[in-house]
Amino acid sequence: MRIIIIGAGEVGFHIAQRLAVENKEVVIIDKSAEALRKIAESSDVQTIRGSGSSPEVLEEAGIMDADIFLAVTDSDEINLIACFFANMLNEKVTKLARIRSGMYTNYKHLLTGEGAGITKIINPDEEVVNSVLRLMSVPGAVEINEFANGKIRLIGINLPEDSPVVGVKLMELRQKIGDELGIVIAALVRDGELIIPSGLNTIQKDDVVYFVCDIREQEEILERLGVPSKPVREVMIIGGGNIGYKLAKALDNKYYHTRLLENRQKRCEFLSERLDRPIVLMGDSTDQDILREENIHDMDMVIAVTGDEETNILTCLLAKSLGAKSTVTRVNNFGYMPLIEPIGIDYVVCPRQSAINSLLHFIRRGKIISTVSIKGEAAEALEVIAHEDSPIIGKKVMDLAFPKGCLVLCFQRGDEVVIPRGDTIIEQQDRLIIISARNNIPKLEKALTTKVEFF
Amino acid sequence: MRWQYVLHIIGALVACVGMTMVLPLAWGAYYGDGTAVPLALSMAITILSGALMFFVFRDPVAAKSAMTHREGMAIVALGWFAAGAFGGLPFYLGGTFESVVDCVFESLSGFSTTGSSVLTNIEAVPRGILFWRSLTHWLGGMGIIVLSLAILPFLGVGGMQLYKAEVPGPVPDKLKPRIKDTAMTLWKVYVLFSVIETILLMFGGMDFFDALCHTFGTMATGGFSTKNTSVAAFDSAYIDYVITIFMLIAGVNFSLHYLLLKWRPAAMFKDPEFRVFGVMTAVFIIIITIAVYAGGNYDSVSDSVRYTSFQVAAILTTTGFATADYELWPGITQAILLFCMFVGGCAGSTGGGMKVMRIMLLVKHSYKELFRLIHPRSVNRVKMGKTVVQDDVISGVWGFFILWIGLFVLAAFVVAGTGVDVVTSFAASLACIGNIGPGIGGVGPTDNFAWLPDTAKWVLTFCMVLGRLEIYTVIILFVPEFWRK
Repeated sequence: MRIIIIGAGEVGFHIAQRLAVENKEVVIIDKSAEALRKIAESSDVQTIRGSGSSPEVLEEAGIMDADIFLAVTDSDEINLIACFFANMLNEKVTKLARIRSGMYTNYKHLLTGEGAGITKIINPDEEVVNSVLRLMSVPGAVEINEFANGKIRLIGINLPEDSPVVGVKLMELRQKIGDELGIVIAALVRDGELIIPSGLNTIQKDDVVYFVCDIREQEEILERLGVPSKPVREVMIIGGGNIGYKLAKALDNKYYHTRLLENRQKRCEFLSERLDRPIVLMGDSTDQDILREENIHDMDMVIAVTGDEETNILTCLLAKSLGAKSTVTRVNNFGYMPLIEPIGIDYVVCPRQSAINSLLHFIRRGKIISTVSIKGEAAEALEVIAHEDSPIIGKKVMDLAFPKGCLVLCFQRGDEVVIPRGDTIIEQQDRLIIISARNNIPKLEKALTTKVEFF
Repeated sequence: MRWQYVLHIIGALVACVGMTMVLPLAWGAYYGDGTAVPLALSMAITILSGALMFFVFRDPVAAKSAMTHREGMAIVALGWFAAGAFGGLPFYLGGTFESVVDCVFESLSGFSTTGSSVLTNIEAVPRGILFWRSLTHWLGGMGIIVLSLAILPFLGVGGMQLYKAEVPGPVPDKLKPRIKDTAMTLWKVYVLFSVIETILLMFGGMDFFDALCHTFGTMATGGFSTKNTSVAAFDSAYIDYVITIFMLIAGVNFSLHYLLLKWRPAAMFKDPEFRVFGVMTAVFIIIITIAVYAGGNYDSVSDSVRYTSFQVAAILTTTGFATADYELWPGITQAILLFCMFVGGCAGSTGGGMKVMRIMLLVKHSYKELFRLIHPRSVNRVKMGKTVVQDDVISGVWGFFILWIGLFVLAAFVVAGTGVDVVTSFAASLACIGNIGPGIGGVGPTDNFAWLPDTAKWVLTFCMVLGRLEIYTVIILFVPEFWRK
């Protein structure tokens, strides 16, 4: 499969790296020789220097026999033009574009229609807003992902020290919290190391536990795991940019008490004109007086989403020290990711990571319909439909020729969420949720799609 | 630097080299010339040693993280020396040479496509061994590493580091998105040309064995022949011309051949390096033809053209076959051939020398400096065709040039120190570092390297690998900074 990527920035770089590891043919185009050299040194990809919006460069990159075309430069316009030309040159190629500006995304139907023929528009800001909203819906979770159109959730959670399940072996877990509830532990993160567990592993203190459950049973499960569930109501958003505005807009209802802090006069006016209930405040986020004045210590959640990640991090730390219950910070630079947890920030959202997730989701066509990365990029959870020609149908779960470190977490059969046992037989049209360590993805894909194993 | 990991990969390379010994083994068994046993033994030793290294030094943790620059270079450089050592086994066990240095010299002269020989009577050597001798050329021409990249799946991740360290030229091309496919494509092109040449040579009356061995020598720009008098032994204008043309083909960037085969000939003729290479070859052939015809070396114009074009191609592409003793030609022709020895083939070809591309860059950069003296405020970048060449590439080329010349001179000093005369020392050193084969003086086209002292042979062996891996990859092992943690 040949994939052409325009833009070797953070998003392009990581997607290229991920796909190259999976043995895809990746060609990456960028204007900066420096960026290209960086990627050529770290991954097995072809690099072409030039403008991604130039048809000549696209031809050189082999657009004619490409399968997927990703336009992920920082400029919406270049992405659009690149997709436009890609469409002209090869109508069949799947075109994905990263587009942020509201003036384009409001007209999605035009872009995905005849003219540019973009297959899917990825808007990282929107994805970020969605992930913040998800985080708010499960207090205490570090990460929440949805499958089966939102019916199944993969939740990562920091267990409190007094949780009844600490010290429990996974095979005994269901007895402990009640057998009628469907829960599967997908992964444990212990000392920064991701473990895909078997029944013999034990949950220990300070583990981050990732589990899968039916969304209808989510609250019950969280309660029995001993996670305090005080709903989020008092929210402070810091930074009234694109994301901040969209977030405030989404929280613009009776339930939430939202404050939005922004330091530009003009922007504040703009925001207050468009928002009903949220209180728009003007001021600097690192100013303790404003934070105190607005009762920062009563906040259930402080969300720092300015464009400047250093400000976000520092603001969150400040808010935390002033008594805020939990903090969400927006970070762009992947280099900071490992720092976030140790210094005491609760959640990170990253537009680029979100963009990467949704792009990968789309690239894994065929049998796999959805994927999310968990714990940075160490593992992926995949959603798969067992089509009639799939080799896995009619097999017992324990007989599947899956590589090591892959786990079938659960599946959805009709409307029901089934937690599999070793002897559960897979039927047609089952939606399987599988977790896999990243390096096993190609093998897993192979096991799902081919009948004959060559090696 | 993860030593375990480096040795682990080298083990795989050595085993790969061992596998290829099955080909001469087949010839040896076919002819029943008594080489089957030593070849089988060499093969077994090589594969077993390689496999042993591969399994003993296996480190599942290390394999997960990517290969660093340093490791890539260490693997390639040490891998080449290891291949050379094991490649010498058939000569040693087959009784071709008594001394170890001769075996290693001949083997690395093969792998590095130099073609300098320490064999005095080639025709007396059994065919199984001769086949191995030519095969080392063919393997080394496109590259042991490039071959391994094409067939060993697990090298994919760090492949680019290895590829860069082996492929000649300042900026290696990547034809396909994946390094494995690039390597595979290059080998396919290489095999295709080899098949065509073999068939053409057989039309000229060579038997299959000779045709194959000479093809190996040509396509790899090596120069080992199966005859004492090299290609001259066949005394056929047709064979001379076929070899001439294929030497020139082998001297051109294989990426261009690939584009040509994909039916994009324009790419080839627009390539600035190819143009310079073509023009240079034509001009040199014309000048030398006139000189030798006027000098009375040959009676007819057709003979002059035949011998000069062969010799220019052989020296410029650093193949080193001989059909004529150019030491008898007029002085100017020898001067031109000497210049050709420095230049070598194009980047990305199988030829040696400093590469046409580098010479072009140096000339262009020097001109740019002159231009700046006249227009001090001018902003001016060095370009190849329409592409701007980055400054770090140019400084890399200057560094290469200085090191190349410096090491060539240093090696010449050492060889002279062993009691060899000065012309021969410089010629031998140049012939080896440029991967040419024959030089002038005591190592001219009619002589060989057998009479040199052992120390000189060791130094020259080292020079051949230096030249083939283009200095940096090898010499880096001798920089103390490389070994620091």
